[in-house]
Amino acid sequence: MNYFDQKIQPVRDQRLTIIDSFCGGGCDLLDCARSGCALRQNRRFWQANACQMALTIMMASTVENAQIIMHGPIGCGQQMNGLVAQGNRGRVSRGLPMIAPRPWLSTNLKESDVIGGGEQKLREAIEFADREYRPEIIFVISTCAPNIIGDDVEEVVCRAQETTAATVVGLHCPGFKSRVVASAYDAFYHGLLRHLKFEPEPYKDFLPLDENNPEYERTMHRFQFEKRRTVNIFNATSIGAQDEQELTRLLEALGLKVRIFAEYSSLDKMRMISHAALNVSMCNVHDDYMLSFLKEKYGMPYVIAGMPLGVKATREWLLAIAKHFGLEEQANRLADAEEARVNEAIEPFLPKLRGKRVLLCGGIVRVGVEAVMLSELGMDVIGARLYHYDTGADPIIEDMADNLPDMQVAVSNQIFELVNQVNTYKPDLMVSHAGTHGWLARTGVPSVQLFNAMESRFAYNGLFTIISRMALALENPSYEKRLAAHTRLPYKESWYEKNPFSYLKS
Amino acid sequence: MATQIIHKKSFIENPRSSCALGGALITIGMMPDVIPIVHASLGCAGNLSGAISMGGGSLGSGYCGGASIPTSGITETEIVFGGADRLREQISSTLELLDAKLFVVATGCMTEMIGDDVQGVVNEFDGEPVIAVSTPSFKGDSYTGYEIVLDGIFNRYLPKIPLKDEKLVNLFGLVPAYDPFFRGDLEELARLIERLGLRANTFFTPDQTFENILSAPAASLNIVFSHVWGVPFVERFESKHRTPYWTTDLPIGAEASDRFLIELGKLMGVSEALVQSVIESENNYYYRYFERAADMFSNAGYKFYAETVTNSNYAIPITSYIERELGWVAREAFVTDQALPAQQRLLRDAFNASGLSSELIFETDTTQIAKEITNRHPQSHGERFFAAEKPVFILGSALERETAVKRGAFHLTISYPAAGRLILNRGYAGYKGGLNLFEDILGGERVPNV
Ligand code: SF4
Repeated sequence: MNYFDQKIQPVRDQRLTIIDSFCGGGCDLLDCARSGCALRQNRRFWQANACQMALTIMMASTVENAQIIMHGPIGCGQQMNGLVAQGNRGRVSRGLPMIAPRPWLSTNLKESDVIGGGEQKLREAIEFADREYRPEIIFVISTCAPNIIGDDVEEVVCRAQETTAATVVGLHCPGFKSRVVASAYDAFYHGLLRHLKFEPEPYKDFLPLDENNPEYERTMHRFQFEKRRTVNIFNATSIGAQDEQELTRLLEALGLKVRIFAEYSSLDKMRMISHAALNVSMCNVHDDYMLSFLKEKYGMPYVIAGMPLGVKATREWLLAIAKHFGLEEQANRLADAEEARVNEAIEPFLPKLRGKRVLLCGGIVRVGVEAVMLSELGMDVIGARLYHYDTGADPIIEDMADNLPDMQVAVSNQIFELVNQVNTYKPDLMVSHAGTHGWLARTGVPSVQLFNAMESRFAYNGLFTIISRMALALENPSYEKRLAAHTRLPYKESWYEKNPFSYLKS
Repeated sequence: MATQIIHKKSFIENPRSSCALGGALITIGMMPDVIPIVHASLGCAGNLSGAISMGGGSLGSGYCGGASIPTSGITETEIVFGGADRLREQISSTLELLDAKLFVVATGCMTEMIGDDVQGVVNEFDGEPVIAVSTPSFKGDSYTGYEIVLDGIFNRYLPKIPLKDEKLVNLFGLVPAYDPFFRGDLEELARLIERLGLRANTFFTPDQTFENILSAPAASLNIVFSHVWGVPFVERFESKHRTPYWTTDLPIGAEASDRFLIELGKLMGVSEALVQSVIESENNYYYRYFERAADMFSNAGYKFYAETVTNSNYAIPITSYIERELGWVAREAFVTDQALPAQQRLLRDAFNASGLSSELIFETDTTQIAKEITNRHPQSHGERFFAAEKPVFILGSALERETAVKRGAFHLTISYPAAGRLILNRGYAGYKGGLNLFEDILGGERVPNV
């Protein structure tokens, strides 16, 4: 089914098989996904999480010269006040200049708008933003309320485009449509692919030449040659500048040219997307939607080959790209050399980590890949907590289930289950998603950030960083121990006697 | 002096408040042994908590906040078929799992729009400590959410107590997170009140227990440190519990604190001699520190034209401090609440009565505030003698930092969003708070820090 022509994209639950409540082994998870039991997975108790809108604005707010308009009540998008600073840190780490924080707008829907509709307010806000702030792009973020009252946000966006200087992009991400935050990736890319151009434009991006021009052939040749050697890599909020630089370094060593999209990109830069030979993903659950669109529209092939974490997955990732260019032999030589160096570098840390019981928690691809990697390095990986499961991650889960058939696999982003797991299984160390570390410290366990956009996690530099981080985390647990001893968690004592997953239902 | 800019735009730039649900969550979550149950999508409580924590000076999750908040997590199915069943299941599992003396169900916009009978579901839990409040985003901002929660707990849930405790007062008006120094302020106020031989329920500081909430109806006085927020609430409190109220300004610094103690002493029948002796010893403490900083302050020529950008609670207190303690020239006091005209009138009356010389302006948008400052204080374009009002010090939120940088003004973050600050027990109220503010203005928190 073709989703790309629709005004609004489907959420992940409609497009793929989704699980967000599960506990078992890796194989059980795959069985559940394939048997239809996935549809029935649920919980009797839920705690707060983010929604797809939250991740959508994280991505949108990094785009250059883009103005955010939150179409909703005043509470949706409050985190924008912090994203401005986060975006600036990301910019500076990518060598982009620091910018004055761009204000954002909320249409501030009130009771009367809920009854009468919010379209007029949105129109006014778009006009105002275009006039007042002169952005290149206006992102209109469509939240729950307008989707319940029936505002045709995409229609307002398209109409507004007729009179605005900025390119207006609707991002449809009402939280109630899906419990799967990763739906945000599709929301973001759907808006881009509907409203932005991905082709270089004459007299903007290149100077067209007449066929009779003596330079024509040479220029065309150079143009085509460049295109044949260029790869586009698609990033995400959890991927930092250092990761991008590390991967760029490796691919450039193979003689390729690298461009990175769509965070920290711009209207101008994104027009170059189709001027490349290959689109490359860094995660199975980020951008398959965008990559299949680019394949359909421009015939561009793509590679989705896991996440380059640790030596094995990095080699696989590199080889998948190299294969496209017939550079396997070079890629293997490069990986050999890099592995020799990084293995030597991490060696002194490994004795501290070997045999340590570690529990992993976060995005399915990262956790799946890291579980295998850390166990190969001699750690005792006692469990994997995946924030969600979707079909895109099957190759990762298959690999994890092959390598660690007996390891407990849970699909959970719920803190009460996490706290109980820590209390029951007593890991020595957690490697965990952003937002959990405060709770982990309160339960007394040291933790390392599964990702940190200000640090390195990918490929060889990333391996070294996370290994040294883990060794440091194990070094002095006084803070966690004292905090746990003096903190009361909100659960009744009886909760810790129960199975951590006893609130699952199917 | 007071004027008002009528806000013509229907939308709002960088709102300095989240929705009623956001205000409700932080208010509930800051109370001892009280846990919210959110009837909305999974995202609302998580997003709001993160944003409010950041804006409130890295306030954090606390006992059962942030990603631990129980939430019905309704999805498209409930939007179509109703969310009552999911809510019922969530309340009963919450009661099973979590330890608290009171649970407060708070609603989000989508469950109100689909018309779930939340009170009906809560009524089924007869005998259990669960109540419901209606806090959809479109009902108002976080300040409104604060009032709705107080009403629910103090005016609906708590039974009447026939006997008054003549030494006990309740403190209201400071909104958790949105008054980023609320805890330090409350602690200092309680300390001063105790020096007069009285006791205070602050409800939001670490020393408080659920007993403080239960004892609130016995208080002899409610003090509201706001002319706008919490006033209708204490009126209803009075008609149910017969506790009179006193609206006053948060006292910042010695001059304001002296006045506060004298007035409170009168209201509570404290002997004048005791009040005077407390004032004397507090002033001695305050000025022995203050005078030491005087060398730095005076030698550096720290005399400024001041602009303040705050919520309505802090407008008078902060202006009073800089005019009366520091001897600065306060020019404009921007108030960024989305106050209704009637609420604006209340604040304006209080501002006029305060005798302060700056001008009160209601404006929510950062860009508009910056423009307003520029229009009112033109800068020199190279003229030799140009009466630009310089130097300027802006005391506002983190959003004013850029405005200050552009003008070459000094800046201190004192209001919401207080992004970039970590605020624990620091407060600006009272004598100790006045010294804290002096430290922050002179010391490391100020930008640029030269
Ligand atoms: S779930 Fe809906 S209403 Fe709640 S924060 Fe997300 S978009 Fe806004």
